[in-house]
Amino acid sequence: MSETTLVTQQVINGLSLGGMYALLALGFTLVYGIIELINFAHFNVFMIGSFIGMWVLQAFGLSGQSVLLTGLPLIGALLAALVVSMFASGVLGVAIEKYTLRPLRSSTGSAGGTIGMITTIGVSYILFNVILLGFGADTKNFPNPLPTIHFDVEGANLDLRVILIWVVSIVLMVALWLFVQKSRLGKAMRAVAQDAEAARMMGVDVDRAVVMAFFWGSALAGAAGLIFGLYYNFTSFLIGYTAGLRAFTAAVLGGIGNIPGAMLGGLIIGLIESLGGQFIAVKWTDVIIFAILVFVLVLKPTGLLGTMAPSKS
Amino acid sequence: MLTRRNAGKLVAGAAASTTLLGVGFGSARAAGEKEIKIGINLPLTGADAEGANRIKYGALLAIQQANDSNAIPGYRLVPWVLNDATSTAGQYDPAQAATNARKLVADSAVLAAIGPEMSGSGKAMAPILSEAGLATITPASTNPDITNPKFASEFDPSGKAIYFRTVTTDAFQGPAMANFYADVLKVGSVYVLDDSGAYGVGIADTFTARAKEKGIKVLGRDRLDPLQADYTVGLTKIKALNADGLYYGGVMGAGAKLVKQSYGILPQKMPKAGGDGLLAPEMLTSVGFPAAEGWYCTIASPHLTEDPKVQPFVKLYESTWHTQPDDYAITSYDAGLVIINAIGNLIKAGKPVTRANVRDAIQASHTNTLQGEVAFDQYGDVVNRTVSVFQVVKNPNYPLTDIIHQFKYIGSAPTS
Repeated sequence: MSETTLVTQQVINGLSLGGMYALLALGFTLVYGIIELINFAHFNVFMIGSFIGMWVLQAFGLSGQSVLLTGLPLIGALLAALVVSMFASGVLGVAIEKYTLRPLRSSTGSAGGTIGMITTIGVSYILFNVILLGFGADTKNFPNPLPTIHFDVEGANLDLRVILIWVVSIVLMVALWLFVQKSRLGKAMRAVAQDAEAARMMGVDVDRAVVMAFFWGSALAGAAGLIFGLYYNFTSFLIGYTAGLRAFTAAVLGGIGNIPGAMLGGLIIGLIESLGGQFIAVKWTDVIIFAILVFVLVLKPTGLLGTMAPSKS
Repeated sequence: MLTRRNAGKLVAGAAASTTLLGVGFGSARAAGEKEIKIGINLPLTGADAEGANRIKYGALLAIQQANDSNAIPGYRLVPWVLNDATSTAGQYDPAQAATNARKLVADSAVLAAIGPEMSGSGKAMAPILSEAGLATITPASTNPDITNPKFASEFDPSGKAIYFRTVTTDAFQGPAMANFYADVLKVGSVYVLDDSGAYGVGIADTFTARAKEKGIKVLGRDRLDPLQADYTVGLTKIKALNADGLYYGGVMGAGAKLVKQSYGILPQKMPKAGGDGLLAPEMLTSVGFPAAEGWYCTIASPHLTEDPKVQPFVKLYESTWHTQPDDYAITSYDAGLVIINAIGNLIKAGKPVTRANVRDAIQASHTNTLQGEVAFDQYGDVVNRTVSVFQVVKNPNYPLTDIIHQFKYIGSAPTS
């Protein structure tokens, strides 16, 4: 393998990692942008999303490594898994907001800050343990229904699954961006982000905007969960932690609350991980990622693209 | 996988262990019998749960049989099962193992223990057990440091061996695979990975040292984080180096993902191997075919489950627990036999049954077990040093998760 091929391969690896981190980072950023809350439950909504995706695929009779469906039935099964895991994760996110954060919001006036954050850490542990106790701790063999198709790029291997990650990530990110920028509800969300009180006085349904942020943020985590399973062919109760932490880092790196920032941050972290692993050593990955995070934040505390979070003056 | 059936067993086992102060285990207790508690510490949940449960069943079977046959007249053995896996670690957790060791030590009725499975746990438990003079017999943990006199101040401060083994150590297991690579597979260059755990790092070190002695070129060494999901970066790097072979020291936590992701990145024909950490049910359930196909692994004991002499035990184990024993279920049963034999010897000699005497009796014992006679050197290591090599080879005549038939026994590894 030549040096160019090797670097190309690691860039492909890094971009697919980055696509996944970016999808996950969007959920952090969306919620933070609206109510200034770092939602740690997001880690495990992602994990549960991958389990739901696995169950849907298993309901179609797909299990293990066998390729049973092809063509349209396969696309149908994958779309069904995507829709169900996004919807179920979205509903889970809304439930978390409704039962744990809204009472906080109505009693303290804000779900942001330390109390809200600690609450989401608690919720995260509950979700984690529910899956651990309910379904066991072993690594689950995620169905692998995708045909193995490789493309040759400069001698490097580009797998169909990598393209799938990119396509789904880009489509979902663009859709989210358009939703927030163009739709009426998206405008309401941005209004709430800038000043919830003023938005309420202007007739914006603040609760609805917050619910929407949780729904779409969590739905993206569900999509990321399914993609994770299809890409790595496994899931387990543990997957939320490392991926979630990296995605959170990506959101902060890009500028928390900033949607393009989350995408950029995700891709950068993915590339750091793959190129750092190649040219330094895999065991230093976390050190490199977090060192770069600290460095960027010292120079530019708002992240690379700056926060779009409320500028309350 | 934790099936509903063995999950029920697990709950039943836990219930048996928590109610041990009241009813014992199984049949009725004769009046006036004294109780001896045998601690059993294993990672019963988490990434290595299946293998750990098979080990637990082996130990429980030995204890149950001893009670049923009244092997130690006047005494009744009561198993106390402890779990050293935690949900935050997702696998064995040395901190939990230390806590469990303190629990065992604190209960004066505990005179001996079986376990742990994992060397990381063993390192945490050994000093605590040593201070209390409580002997444990591990049926599976193979890191040599724990019984190495060089590290006695760390793991055996009291100076008397308390960490006995019915398996040999990675001082033999890692080098055995290096010998196999060099002499049998004629591997010229190798890349070495470990999973950052005590066992994984240790066995990878001993493998690396012997590989160099045998003239195998070691192209690099890297470390995997078991909590991380993606190993494709490291695997791509290994592919680019054109290594002839890969060696992984570690357990299934990182192992399942590594084996899975190496399929499709590394060439199918390239020899890939690990130690006993890979000879686990998860290799077939979490990884499965075709990814697991061709991987080599070893165990630090003779291969017994297919031995004709051991078949009555295999049948009994299956009918009692409704699951198959693996070789470490047998070494665990053997550990139980050693303890029972040692306590029996004490009583025959008319000595008081105390922790210190049980330890001495284990040290001096020569026990007929399923693997033959088990005796220990002065540091607690088993005298027999056989390492067996296996390869995952799909056998369509048996279920694909059958741990006896999908791991093909290749033979015992060259010893030098």
